[in-house]
Amino acid sequence: MCPLRLSSPSFRQPRFWARGSKPHIIRTIEGAVIVTAIFLLLVEVVVNGGLNSIIKNGLTPELPLFAVFTLGRMTIAYGLALAFALSYGIATAMSHRASHVLLPLLDIFQSVPVLGYLPIVFAIFLGSGPDANPFGLQIAAIILIFTAMAWSPTFGVIAGINAIPADIKEASRAYGLNGVRYLRQIVLPAVYPELIWTSILAWGSGWYLIPIEEYVPFRGSPISAGGLGSYIAQASRNSDIASALFGLIILVGIIYAIDQLVWRPLGVKAEKYKYESTAAPRTTATPRSGVSEGVRKAEDRIVAPVRTFYKSQRSIVTRALEVVRVTKLLHATERLKFPERISRIPFWGRLLSYAIFLGLVAFGLELLVAPRSESILNALTVLAANVTAFQLVGLTLFSLSRLVTAYLIALGWTLAAGILIARSQRFSRWLVPIFDIGQSIPATALFPLVVIILVDPFRNTPYLGVTLNFASIILLLTGMQWYLLFNIVGAVNSVPNDITEATKAYRVSGGRYMKQILIPAAFPAILIGSIQAWGGGWNALIVSEYIDPKANVPGLGSFLVEASNLPNVLLSSVEIFAALLAMTATVLAINRLVWRRLLRRADRYKFEA
Amino acid sequence: MSQPSELLPDIKNVSRPGDPLLEIKDISKVYPGEGKSTTVFDDINFNVYKEFLCIVGPSGCGKSTLLRIIDGLDSPTTGQVLFHGQPVIAPSPKIGVIFQTFALIPWKTVLGNVEMALQATTVPKDEQVKIAKKYIQDVGLEGFETAYPKELSGGMKQRVGIARALALQPEVLLMDEPFSSLDALTAENLRQEVLEIWRDPVYATNCVVMVTHNVQEAVYMADRVIVLNHRPAKIVDDVQITLERPRNQRDPAMFDYSDRIISKIS
Repeated sequence: MCPLRLSSPSFRQPRFWARGSKPHIIRTIEGAVIVTAIFLLLVEVVVNGGLNSIIKNGLTPELPLFAVFTLGRMTIAYGLALAFALSYGIATAMSHRASHVLLPLLDIFQSVPVLGYLPIVFAIFLGSGPDANPFGLQIAAIILIFTAMAWSPTFGVIAGINAIPADIKEASRAYGLNGVRYLRQIVLPAVYPELIWTSILAWGSGWYLIPIEEYVPFRGSPISAGGLGSYIAQASRNSDIASALFGLIILVGIIYAIDQLVWRPLGVKAEKYKYESTAAPRTTATPRSGVSEGVRKAEDRIVAPVRTFYKSQRSIVTRALEVVRVTKLLHATERLKFPERISRIPFWGRLLSYAIFLGLVAFGLELLVAPRSESILNALTVLAANVTAFQLVGLTLFSLSRLVTAYLIALGWTLAAGILIARSQRFSRWLVPIFDIGQSIPATALFPLVVIILVDPFRNTPYLGVTLNFASIILLLTGMQWYLLFNIVGAVNSVPNDITEATKAYRVSGGRYMKQILIPAAFPAILIGSIQAWGGGWNALIVSEYIDPKANVPGLGSFLVEASNLPNVLLSSVEIFAALLAMTATVLAINRLVWRRLLRRADRYKFEA
Repeated sequence: MSQPSELLPDIKNVSRPGDPLLEIKDISKVYPGEGKSTTVFDDINFNVYKEFLCIVGPSGCGKSTLLRIIDGLDSPTTGQVLFHGQPVIAPSPKIGVIFQTFALIPWKTVLGNVEMALQATTVPKDEQVKIAKKYIQDVGLEGFETAYPKELSGGMKQRVGIARALALQPEVLLMDEPFSSLDALTAENLRQEVLEIWRDPVYATNCVVMVTHNVQEAVYMADRVIVLNHRPAKIVDDVQITLERPRNQRDPAMFDYSDRIISKIS
C-alpha cells in the first residue's frame, strides 16, 4: 500500500470577511472603462497618430445616433424573435400533433446558415428599381437580425416546457389550473430561465450580423443602413484602421455593458425559477456550485494580504463562472434528447416539414423572379446552363476542408483551456473574464481588421493565395471557437459534487482524472458545442471566403457572393438559391451522419439526474 | 498498526480505550457568507477506536462536513484530525468512503468503478482486477461486472459503492448516510449485510464511522453514538450502546437509547 500523505500540522486562522460590496452597476462601469482604456491604449501604440483620423472621419460625430439605430434594430428584432419563440415553442410543446411537423421544420430552419438569407432578403426588400428603397433597407436589416435570433429561444421554450416535472403537471390539473391560468402560472415561469439563457445567445447572434447587414452591396456600390456596423465597415473600406478599431471598441463596450446590465442580472434571477432536477441532495458543506467552492478553497491558501487584494475580484469571477455555467450549458441533457425526439417523429411529419421548407424556398424564388416577369422553370434552365452540379460539389468540398481545419484547431485549444480552467482555479480566475470579453466581440466585426493585416499587404504578391486561405481559416475560427469553449468549460465545471469527492477520496488525480473523468464528462458538451460551432462556422464561411473580386478563395461562400453580384438578375437569384440549398443540404447531412450518431452514443456520458 | 485478525471479534464488541485510530481535535468549520459568516460546528473533540461509531444530528449540523474533514476531502477552519497520530490533509488509501448518492462514474462499468479505487495504489494491475472482482462477488454482484451504473437499482449501486470502499482493505470505513437514498426494504437488507461484513474477521476493516440522521439506525448498528445538536453544532452526548449483537429492532432497550438521543437533539 502507498504511504500516507501526511504533513506538518497545518495552521488555520479564523477568516475576516469584511465584504465591501460595491453596487453591481458601479463594478460593471469600472470594468467597461478599464477594458476600453486598454483598447484605446493599444490603438495609440499600434497606429501612431490614429486619433487624428478618427477625428477627421466625418461619421464620428454621428456615432451616438448610430448606436441608437443599431440598438433599436436589435431591440425590434429581438421583440419579434421573442414573440415567435413563445408562440412557436408553446404550440410545439403543447400540441403533440403539431409538434410532428413543427419540430423537424425548426430543425431545418436553424440548420440554414443565417447569412445565407442575406442576399435573398435584400434582393426582395431593396426593390428592383435603380435606387434602394430606404424603408425596405431597414425592414430587411431587422428581418435578418430576426433570422439570427429566432431559433435558439424557440428551442429554449420547448426545452423549458418539457422540463416541467410530471408531478407539477398533475398537481396543476388536480387543482384546476387550465388554459390561460396554466400558461401564466406554470408554463411561463418554467420557460423563463431557458428563455433568458437562450436569449443571451440569440442577442449574441444578432450582434454577429450587425457589421454585415448595415453595409450591403447594391448594384456595385455599398449602401449604408446607418449604424455602428456600417461605421466600422466604411472605415475599413477606406483602410482607416483607427476608425475601424474605434468603432469596434464602442460596439464591444455597448455589447459588454448590455450583457452586464441586462442579461447577467436576468440570468441570476432565472436560477430561481429552475426546477431542481437533481434528486441527490448536495452536502450541506457545499451550498454553492463546486466552482465557487473551489475558488473559495483556492483563496484559503492565499496568504492574508494577497487575499485582501483578491477579495474584490472574487465575487466578480465567481459570478462570471456562475453565469458562464448557466448560460452556456443550456440544459445539455434536454438538448441531447432532441435528436432522439426527432427520430421518433412519424414519417408523415418529417415529409410534411420538408415539403413546407421547399415550399417556402419556392415562394422566395417566386418573389424574386415574379417582378422580373420570369417563370421558375425558365430560371432553372438558366441555372442548368451556367452551373454544373459537379461545380457545386467541388465548391462545397473546398469550403468543408477549411471548416474542418478551423474546427480541429478550435477543438484542440478549447479542450486544453477547458481542462486548464477545471484543474486550476488560478487560471480560471484570469482566463474566464478574458474569454468573456473575447466572446462578446462579434467575429464579423474583426473581419475588416484581418483583411487589413493579412490580405492588403500581400496583394500583388504570390503569397496572396496562402494568406487568403490563412485569413479565411482564422475568420472561421473566430466564428466557431467560443461555442466549443463555453460548452466545455460549462461541462467540466458541472461534474457533480459527489463524483468529484469520490475521485478525490479514491485519489484519482492528474492524467488519470483527465482521461477518466474530465474528458468523458465533457463529451456531450463537446458534441453540443461542435454542433453550435459548425453552425457558426457556416455563417462565417460566407464572409470569410470573399473579400473582393481580386481577393477570394474558391468555395460555397465566395460563390454565393459572386452570384449576388451578377448583372443578370434571374441567373443571380437562381444561383443564390442553388448555393443555399447545397449549403443547407450539406449541413443537414453532416448533422444526421455525424452529430446525431455521436449524440446517441453520448447517453452514457450523462450524469444521472 | 492493525491487529492480527484472530483477535478481531473480541475487539469489535467491546470498544475499549487503547490507541485511538482517529483523533478529532478542536475542529470547527465556518463558512464566510454575504455579510455574516456561518459557524457550522465548533469545538468538536472525540477519538475513534476500533469500533462502529455513528454520528447523529439534525440536518444542517455539519455531520457530512465532519466526515469529509475526517477523510481530508474538506479542511477544518480550526483544529485538526489525526490518523494514527499524523495530521490528515489528503485522502488516504487506508480510509474508504461510501457516499449517500453512491458517486459512481456513469461511464465506467461496475468493475471499472471498483478498480478506480485501486488504481492509485501500488497493487499490480492484474492483481487489481482480481481484488475488484472478489469484492464485487462479496457484495453479491457477481455477473454484473460489465453492467453500467444506470442499469442497476439503487441498492445494487450502493453495493458497488461498498465494494469500491472495501477493495482498498481500509482500516477505517467512512459512510455518509449510506442507506438514506434507498427504499426501506433495501436499506434494511443492506444494513444487515454491512454489519455482517464488519463482523466478519476476513475483512481488515474494524473501524467504521457512519453519519446518519436516523436515530434508530444508529442505535441498531453502532457501538457508540455521538450526538450533535443544531447549528452551530456541538457534541451534546456520547452514548455507548452495550446491547448484545445481533440486536433485535424490537428490543425495548433500543427505544430507551433512541429516546435518550432524540431528547438531546431537540
